[in-house]
Amino acid sequence: MRRVAIVGAGMTAFGEHFNLGIKELVPMAVSEMAASVDRGLDRDAIEAVWFGELATTDGFPSGILADSCGLLNIPVTRVENACATGQDALRNAVFGVASGHVDVALVVGADKVRETSARATFWDWMGMTRDMAWDYPLGLVAPANFALHVRRYLHESPATREHLAMIAVKNHKHAVTNPKAQLRHEITVDQVLSAPMVVDPFGLYDCTPQSDGAAALLVVGEEVVNRFTARPVWVRGFGLGFDRVMHQHKTDMTTFPATVKAAKVAFSMAGVGPDDIDVAEVHDCFTGVELISYEDLGFAERFRGHELVESRDHYVGGRIPVNPSGGLKGKGHPPGATGVAQVVELFEQLRGESTNQVDGARVALAHNIGGPTAVSAVTILGADPS
Amino acid sequence: MIATVATYLPQWIAEGRRCAGPDEDALTMAVAAGRAALEDGSANDVRKVVIVTRDLPLLEGGNAPALLAGLGLSDRVEVVERVGGAPATLDALAEASEYSLVVGTDVSGAAGAGAAWTSSVGGGLTALTRVQRSLPLRVRGQDGAVHEDDDPRLQRERGLRVSLGAAGLPGKPVVLAGLSDREAAAWCEGNPPGLPTLGASAPLFALAALAERGAGGIVAAVEQATVSAVHWEPAGVIVRRDERAARELPRRRLSPGPEIKIAFTAYDRAFDAKLRWQAGQCPSCATLAFPPRLRCLGCGHEGDTVLVPLPRTGTVYTTTTIHVPVPGLASPYALAVVQLDGVDVRALVPVTDCTPGAADIDARGRLVFRRLTVRSGVPDYGYAFVPEVVD
Repeated sequence: MRRVAIVGAGMTAFGEHFNLGIKELVPMAVSEMAASVDRGLDRDAIEAVWFGELATTDGFPSGILADSCGLLNIPVTRVENACATGQDALRNAVFGVASGHVDVALVVGADKVRETSARATFWDWMGMTRDMAWDYPLGLVAPANFALHVRRYLHESPATREHLAMIAVKNHKHAVTNPKAQLRHEITVDQVLSAPMVVDPFGLYDCTPQSDGAAALLVVGEEVVNRFTARPVWVRGFGLGFDRVMHQHKTDMTTFPATVKAAKVAFSMAGVGPDDIDVAEVHDCFTGVELISYEDLGFAERFRGHELVESRDHYVGGRIPVNPSGGLKGKGHPPGATGVAQVVELFEQLRGESTNQVDGARVALAHNIGGPTAVSAVTILGADPS
Repeated sequence: MIATVATYLPQWIAEGRRCAGPDEDALTMAVAAGRAALEDGSANDVRKVVIVTRDLPLLEGGNAPALLAGLGLSDRVEVVERVGGAPATLDALAEASEYSLVVGTDVSGAAGAGAAWTSSVGGGLTALTRVQRSLPLRVRGQDGAVHEDDDPRLQRERGLRVSLGAAGLPGKPVVLAGLSDREAAAWCEGNPPGLPTLGASAPLFALAALAERGAGGIVAAVEQATVSAVHWEPAGVIVRRDERAARELPRRRLSPGPEIKIAFTAYDRAFDAKLRWQAGQCPSCATLAFPPRLRCLGCGHEGDTVLVPLPRTGTVYTTTTIHVPVPGLASPYALAVVQLDGVDVRALVPVTDCTPGAADIDARGRLVFRRLTVRSGVPDYGYAFVPEVVD
């Protein structure tokens, strides 16, 4: 299979876009992406679309994308894979391009969370991701899925709620310079610890906000890269990992085996290891999830993730900067868009043009975990093709 | 003959009375009392279940299968749903054939349940009299609306006094179920035992108390202007009580919102395993799966599994407390993944009967039959974890 590069990346701001529907957000993201293509994009060059959307708010996703973006003459495929949706859309587009079936593919990720009332959202979204007889009626809300893991993790590891708070503080600080981020203000550890409890051990500031938004990438084969840019970002590796869906079937809840499996495949494909990663976007829907993921991704030894936090090496300027965009916590989390937006950030990082630039970044990693914790995607990007 | 009398009281009190917890109803309390009555392994012998209550959750049907599942009885056992209060329970006890389980359960008023298991041994209960007169001072219609004429003197003089007089009892009762302890004492001889409830369960609390004293006598029950009475000779009766010390019901907020949806196909598929607390066992390698599933977690065998009972005790592996208001559920509430004793099975269950968050990792406890939630009007029964230590 041939090498594949990303030559354009753009996204809408993430936030509560009450005045924008999915039919606005998707074409807005595609236009942002088109504007980022150095040598311009003639839309007729796009040959196929992979669209990641977790939920649908205004009907048939692929049709809405084709219609709202004026792409009526090419195939559009919707991808759904819980919180790994966005990265899996990219993965499928890479297959299409690498195989030679198409030269130029569009990847879009989007979701419109704030479309139902805040009260209805809990049950609407739970209904999509829980066993209807066994889990759904218990009120296993999204934060509770992860809290069950993180409570056990805090029980077995030396980490404390304070370490979780320090992750929220970092991601808020990183979000300040990101014009697309939803929460662009700094917070303190005391604020995090004294905030109202949402789902133990997560207080308000440990949780991602509810967000709407869309993000888009232009993915092309190596032979046509020069038509679009002299500064492509290469897709070096990707992995998709799974675990048992129900919590009662997960033997060790202090780790996410889906992440471990996805990372192993992605690192192997890219020919790099955790120590080679210059910058990472890591799934931080809740602070403790980022902490556990340090270990699952190999950035820290098992039960020593808190040492990375204490060293501040996870800040931009540190050994392994995590979530320079602000992460899901600071930037926002429209699930289908999240993985694609992580790649938008890393595209900018590897081209040296992020608003929160990691100096000299050459290899980058994006990570998602979801469903509730049964699927993970890891994507590795490089400034160099190999 | 009544071999065993068992009682159950929810641990919560509100306004001085025991009240059902948010996950309890007439059926879950009936199960608690009934299981206590059958604790010695009599379940296989039960031929008939009579449930007496005025608080049946499902008036259009569906109580019996849930009750039988909770009690661990075959779904072929006859269930009589008897709408009534304290006198109806005495009548049902007097009429009960051998190997029957008679349960009285109350939600409205003071909450609690009692159960009696009849067999060839135990105490003797013989009917004395029954007087049925109409004085409906409290009315609850099909719409559920209650109309109450609060006239205790009318109740006493035209209800109780006239009916008791008409009953022509051979002597004064030793206990009178259906009234407050203070009111009842005036009609009884000696020092009648206090009873925690006023409805269908009250006579069972009376029988239990007398059995513990080892003293029999006339037991009467009253509801409005209806009176029933029996003679109770409690020699050899076993009494079991599932009663914890009373605690104030913690304040929880119920957030309004859309109804919680129910998928009846999923309800139907899960019913037996979920309400009977059973796992699917692989016929090939004996691995347990909870919930049951087509493909074995151990060996990958696909096909019908055999349902087998699960242990009802375990240890919290992990837990969380949900503080944020969730529409349709009372917050805060706690969930736990519980490692069951002696098997390689964990269950995700609500934590109940304690302050949310009180049962931490490593807490020991037992699994009890509860109403997990109400979904679009349908009570959704299953199991919840009660920690041994509640604070």
